[in-house]
Order: sequence, then C-alpha cells, then structure tokens
Amino acid sequence: MSVPTTLRCLVRPSVPRHVPRQVAVVWAAPFSTTASLAANPPKKKASAQMASIRSGKKMQLGKFKKKAPGGRTGKSPLPGERKAVRKRIQLSNSNALPVPGLAELTSEYMADKVNAGTVVSLPGTVQDELRVIEAFKPTQYWGMFRNPSMLVRSETVDLIGRMQDSAEKKQTLKLVVSGDRLTGKSMLLLQGMAHGLLNEWIVINIPEAQELTTASTEYAPIPGTDPVQYMQNNYALKLVQAVRKANEKTLTRLTTAYSHPELPQNIPINSTLMQLANSAKEADSAWYVFHALWQELMAKGQGRPPILLTLDGLQHIMKVSDYRSAAYNPIHSHDLALVRLFTDCLAGNHQFPGGGAVLAATSRGNAPRVPSMELALSQRAAEQAGAEIPKHDPFFRDYDTRVEASLKKVQVLKVSGVSKLEARAVMEYWAASGVLRKTVDEATVTEKWTLGGHGVLGEMERASLLTMRP
Amino acid sequence: MASTVNSLRLCLRTTRKLQCLRVAQLQPPRCRRTLSTTPIRWADKDNAEDEVDEEQIKPYNDLGEALRDFQRDRSLTEEDRKGAARDLRAWEALTLAERDAITTRIKSIKAATAPLKRPATKKKNSFWNEEEHDTDLITNEVGEDDFEEDDIVSLAHGKLEEHREHREYARLAVWEMPLLSKFAKKFEPPTEDEVLRFRYTSYMGEFHPADRKVVVEFCPTDLKTLTEAQQLKLKKLAGSRYNPEKDIVRMSCERYEHQAQNKRYLGDLVDKMMVMAKDPTDMFEDIPLDTRHHTFKRKPKFPVEWRMSEERRAELEAQRKKAFLLDESKRMNGTLIDGVRSIQEAVLTLPDPIASLQAAAPRKRARSTR
Repeated sequence: MSVPTTLRCLVRPSVPRHVPRQVAVVWAAPFSTTASLAANPPKKKASAQMASIRSGKKMQLGKFKKKAPGGRTGKSPLPGERKAVRKRIQLSNSNALPVPGLAELTSEYMADKVNAGTVVSLPGTVQDELRVIEAFKPTQYWGMFRNPSMLVRSETVDLIGRMQDSAEKKQTLKLVVSGDRLTGKSMLLLQGMAHGLLNEWIVINIPEAQELTTASTEYAPIPGTDPVQYMQNNYALKLVQAVRKANEKTLTRLTTAYSHPELPQNIPINSTLMQLANSAKEADSAWYVFHALWQELMAKGQGRPPILLTLDGLQHIMKVSDYRSAAYNPIHSHDLALVRLFTDCLAGNHQFPGGGAVLAATSRGNAPRVPSMELALSQRAAEQAGAEIPKHDPFFRDYDTRVEASLKKVQVLKVSGVSKLEARAVMEYWAASGVLRKTVDEATVTEKWTLGGHGVLGEMERASLLTMRP
Repeated sequence: MASTVNSLRLCLRTTRKLQCLRVAQLQPPRCRRTLSTTPIRWADKDNAEDEVDEEQIKPYNDLGEALRDFQRDRSLTEEDRKGAARDLRAWEALTLAERDAITTRIKSIKAATAPLKRPATKKKNSFWNEEEHDTDLITNEVGEDDFEEDDIVSLAHGKLEEHREHREYARLAVWEMPLLSKFAKKFEPPTEDEVLRFRYTSYMGEFHPADRKVVVEFCPTDLKTLTEAQQLKLKKLAGSRYNPEKDIVRMSCERYEHQAQNKRYLGDLVDKMMVMAKDPTDMFEDIPLDTRHHTFKRKPKFPVEWRMSEERRAELEAQRKKAFLLDESKRMNGTLIDGVRSIQEAVLTLPDPIASLQAAAPRKRARSTR
C-alpha cells in the first residue's frame, strides 16, 4: 500500500457512511382491524375536475361552430320584416345640419348649363312623388342628410337638355344610361324623373326590372294574343297606383278619348284619366286598366303631355325570363306585355303624341350578363363616337335578335366619374351637413377623388362617408 | 514401348465396370404418386430376378488373369477378344520381374485414382452446399469488399473521375474546338422564295422518339403566288395551326420513321394546301376566320402619355398653383367649408337641451298625477 492510501485509511472511517438507518415504525396499535389512513389523503375533487375538463373537450368535426346555448333570445322577425328593414328608405336625418344657401330644384334648373357642378335640394312635393314611384334606392345615402339633395353634373345637364329637346319637337328620346358600378346611373334616372315631374310630364317608372322577370310576381296569358303575351296583374296594379299618385295633377287635367268596354267599370268618354286610373282597385283588371291608360296617353290630337318612361336594370328584361309557359317552355322577357311595351318604346315603335323620353339604366351590381345587349350598346356608343363599330363574334351562338332589334335606335349615355369641380361641390355639401369632418380644400378633394377611382361618386361616398354610416 | 501403353490401357479396362458409378446413378423415386388410397405393396419375389444383382467383381491378381477373363467374356466383341488374346501372348512372353513391375504400377495407379472414383455423396448438414467450391467464380470473392485502409473512398474516386472528365473536356475545348471554325459558314438570310422554315431536333446522336419530328412554319402573306382571298382561305384551311397574333402557320409531323420522310410530307402538304387555296370552287367566304384556339395576350405597358416630361411638370405645377389660389381665395372670402367648424357652429345655435328637458318635465309629472 502506498503512503497516501494508508493515510486515507486513517482519515476516513472504515465503516461506510450511508448505512441505511433502521427506522422504527411506530404503529398506533400493534394490531388493528381497521385500514390505516394516510396523513393527507389526495383531494378527489381536483381529479374529478380534471376529468370533467377533459371530457368537456370535443372534437370539432364541422366547419361551423355550434352556437353556444343562451345566445340570441326573443322573437325572430316576422315574414317580410327583414326585407322591409332592408328596403327602408330614409330621406332625411334631423341629426344632420341644414345646409345654408342650398338652391331648390325648379323646372328649368337642371337644363341650365350654368348649374352644372352645383348641389340642389329636392322640393317636398317632388320628394313625395319620387318616393311613390320608387325612384329612391335603399343603397343611396339619403338618410345621412337633413334634406334630399343631389349633385347636378354635366351628364345631368346633357340628359335634361336632350329630354327638353325631344319634348319640344314632340319626339321620343330613347336613351340607355350605362356606365361602371356606383357611377350614378340610377341617380341620373332620378334626376330625369324629377325634371319630368316638375315639368308636368307623365312619369311612369319601373324601379327594378328584375321584379318583372324573375318570376316573383303573378302572371297570366292575355287571351286573344298570338304569339301569347303575358300580363302581370299584381305588378300592373302597383304600377297604375304609383302612376296615379305621382301624376295626380296632370291626370286630373286630361280626359279620355276612347271608351274602354273591356274594363269592369264603365268609363265614359271625356271623363278624366284620373277616374280611369282609379278604376284599378283589384289586381284582376289591373293590366287592362294600365293598357287603357296607356292607350289614352298615346291618343293623338288630345293635347297629351310628354311622357317619361324609365326602367332600371335593363339587363333583366333583355333575357329569357324565369317564367314558364303552359307547355313549360321558358318565356322570353319580351313576351311579357309590360316588358314588351317598354321595349317597343325603346325600339321606337310607339310615337308619343306629346313627345317624351324612354330612359333605361343598366345595372352593374346585380345583373345577368347579356352579350347581345352589351354588343348593341357598344355598337351604338361607337356609332355616336364615330369609332369603328364592334362586330358579332361569329362563333358565339347566344346572341338574341329580339334584344338587338329593341336596341337599334337608342342613344347611349355613358356615365363615369365626376370632375374635380363637381366632386368639390358635393364634398362641400357633405362638410356643411356635418357628415364630413374635414376642411374641403383642393387636397382633400383630390384625395377622395383619387380614392374614388377618378371621381366615381359611389366610391367617393364610401371613402369619405362610410365611417359615419349607421 | 507401344506394348507397355497398350498393356496399361488394358489394365485400366479392368476397372471398366465400376460399382461405385452404378451406385451414384440417379435413383428413380420409388413413389410415383404423391397421394394414394391403396396400401403400398411389397415387390413380388418372382420379379426379384429382374433386379440387377450386385455384381461380384473379384479383384484380379495380375494382368494375365484379367486378359484370360476377357477372352472368356461373351459380352465383348470379337475384335476385342482377339486383341485380348494378342495382349495375353505378349504378357506371357514377359519375364516374372517385368510382370511384377507392371502389376505394382497398376496397383499404385489404382491407389492414386481411388478418391476420384469415390461416389459423390451429398452432405447431410449442408446449408445450400456452401462449403462446396464454385467453379464458375473467377476469383475467390472472400473478403474482397473489405476496406484495407490502403485506398481512397468511392466518393473520392467519383470526384477524381469528375475531375478527369472536366480536364478531358477542357482539352477538347482548347485543342479541338478551335478547329471547328474551319467548318463555319456565313449566315445568309432566306430569300423571298424560301418561305418555309423547318425545324429539326437532334439529340446529339442518341436515339430519341422525338428526333424524327419536323416542324414547318410559314407566313401565309409571304406566299406571293396567292391572292389575298386565297391567302385568307389558306389561313382558314390551316385551322388551329394558324396563329393570328403572329400571322404564322405552324405544322409538325412525326408520322414517319425518318426526318427526311416527315419533311417531305410537310412540304407536300403545304403544296397541297396552296393548290386547295387556289381552287376557286369554294372560297369559304361564308366562314369567318376562326381564332378561338388562340388567346391574345395583352401586355400592359406604361402609357407614353404618363411619362413625366418638362411640359407635364409645368402643367402639374400650374394646376397646383391654381388649386392653391382657389383655396386661398375661398379662405379669404370665408367660403372655405370646414366640416368640424360647421358642427361647432351648429352646436352653439342649438337650444339648451337641459332647459328644454326642464320645460318638458312638469308636464310629464302632471300627467302622471292625474
């Protein structure tokens, strides 16, 4: 053994340190028949809780989560209630500030070129009449301002000028307003209607063309027509009543020129047109009443006023409708009598005795694609611009000759963004109403004008007003 | 000496009938049928004679004995027996010592060849006859793949091979490729008559199913022999092979085995198309040129009018100045409209809401007391 090892032997105890100590287990009793209890028994509650948490987790198999119970309570809205809210049109808002110095629309206001680029408010009577003929749309921002007002833009002046021209010459203006989405096509129609109402035209408006062709209203074949045409009595009733209310003053002035034996109510010659219109009380005879009214309005040499016929959503009446014939064949929209009347007017088959205008607006938000209509409109636009006229695609088969025939003679008014001056006018109106909380200087105007896709009014409204929308 | 060899031959012939070889013969399997319902019968004792008895071969003491036995053997041919008699005479002529020498030699040969004659028996506990020597193998192969720490690894060998290849191509590039310039031809643009452009595919001598393909391209307007109407008809005939964007007809052929055949076919086809285009019986005037197969690609480019120029810069400057002046004049007039200010002004003019509430309150209370 070496020296360090021997020394270590001296230092360390020879007995290893970790000898397990014998612990005497002292039992309370040396013998017991009961089970021994641990000092701190494990809490059963905790384990139970864990188990419950685990069992509460369930695999989510579906894409959509089930709603937790106790969410929405209460009654669900009645049938039609939701639609009523959706379609509600609010024309004024007392929280908005009244705009000082705002001109009120007069009969000649919009025809004057000087007034292009100004905001003008609608007088109360015209508001009521326009509301009756459903010229206002729920998507427009009327409900943010104290009084319904609108921008008179250069296109408006152009349109109104053409309308006045045709009325003076006792001609019929046939015009289609087309343009991109949210550019103000329906608004232009509204302005035309307002002008017509102020100038004592007979204004007949079909606010949504899709109501006529999407098989949402009743229809029936008109007896004695070949090829069969279809009347839509419920819609005709609504339309006659709207026409009666909106044109009350003019209709009371005019008298009938023909007797109408097909009507259930006897209307003698020389009774007022108001009486004729009033006879539409039930849906059964509504189409005949409307037809009689139309015949009276078309009567020559009776001093009939100019007529304004407008329709929004032109694509819907330029396709095969969702209706079916008795043989279950699809019905073309132009076989519906009311649509036929409008398209005939648009094609120039009816000569309005007192002149007037047929205005139609295309729709870009909710509209089917109609290649024939698109082609015809682009052809008319090219003709007017003197550009090269686009041709048919020779290998496309879904062209519709009836559609093209109805759009042979129309003028096309292309609506696009407003100019910066017009944009400034409308933005000043917003700021004065307290809706736009900004100084309307050239920088702000340019900003919103650019954000709105070079002055697309709807987009400008979105860019500047949407934060305030209820 | 010849007699010695002959005698040796005869000696070896004594071992002609070898019992061991008979044993080593392949024994036919006893049981022909794998499955049988009848019991197996033992062979009859009468038929036992057919079985070949194990021949009792008595060992000969010397060559003379064997030769004598041959002479008696009737199974041998006459010639053999005569030969045996001749050999026997030669044997008997030998002295005793010589006979002993031959006998011992025969015995030694027998002893040496004995292991060769031993029958090849199959080993019982062998696994796939592993220990058997395989004569097909050239080398032994045992331990051949073991790495002996005396070589680089195979990856390195691969790398070296790569280097060799690079160097080989480098040598080619330096020494041989300059010689190719001798074969260079000057480019001559095609003349007016050479309208067809052929394209061939080569896979550098390798076989490929596509190397027979030939593509021809031509512009119908280059065919000067055709009038405009005929050119239009040719385009209509070409159908989807016509590219309206580039105004080019492109056709290909890989129907035949050789490039030349395919090229000939295409050339003939173009000729045929031209003949048909010239045919005035039907000029296809009622059919429009079909371009549905082609998608026209529009590449949007930055408009030239949008480029910033000095004039445009000046114009913009003028616009900004005008806008600034407009704003300033409005500010001076007080017609510049501020949304926030208009709200503040409106709030000042509003009737006091608390006062109006107080005005309304007693009426309500009065209503409730009634």
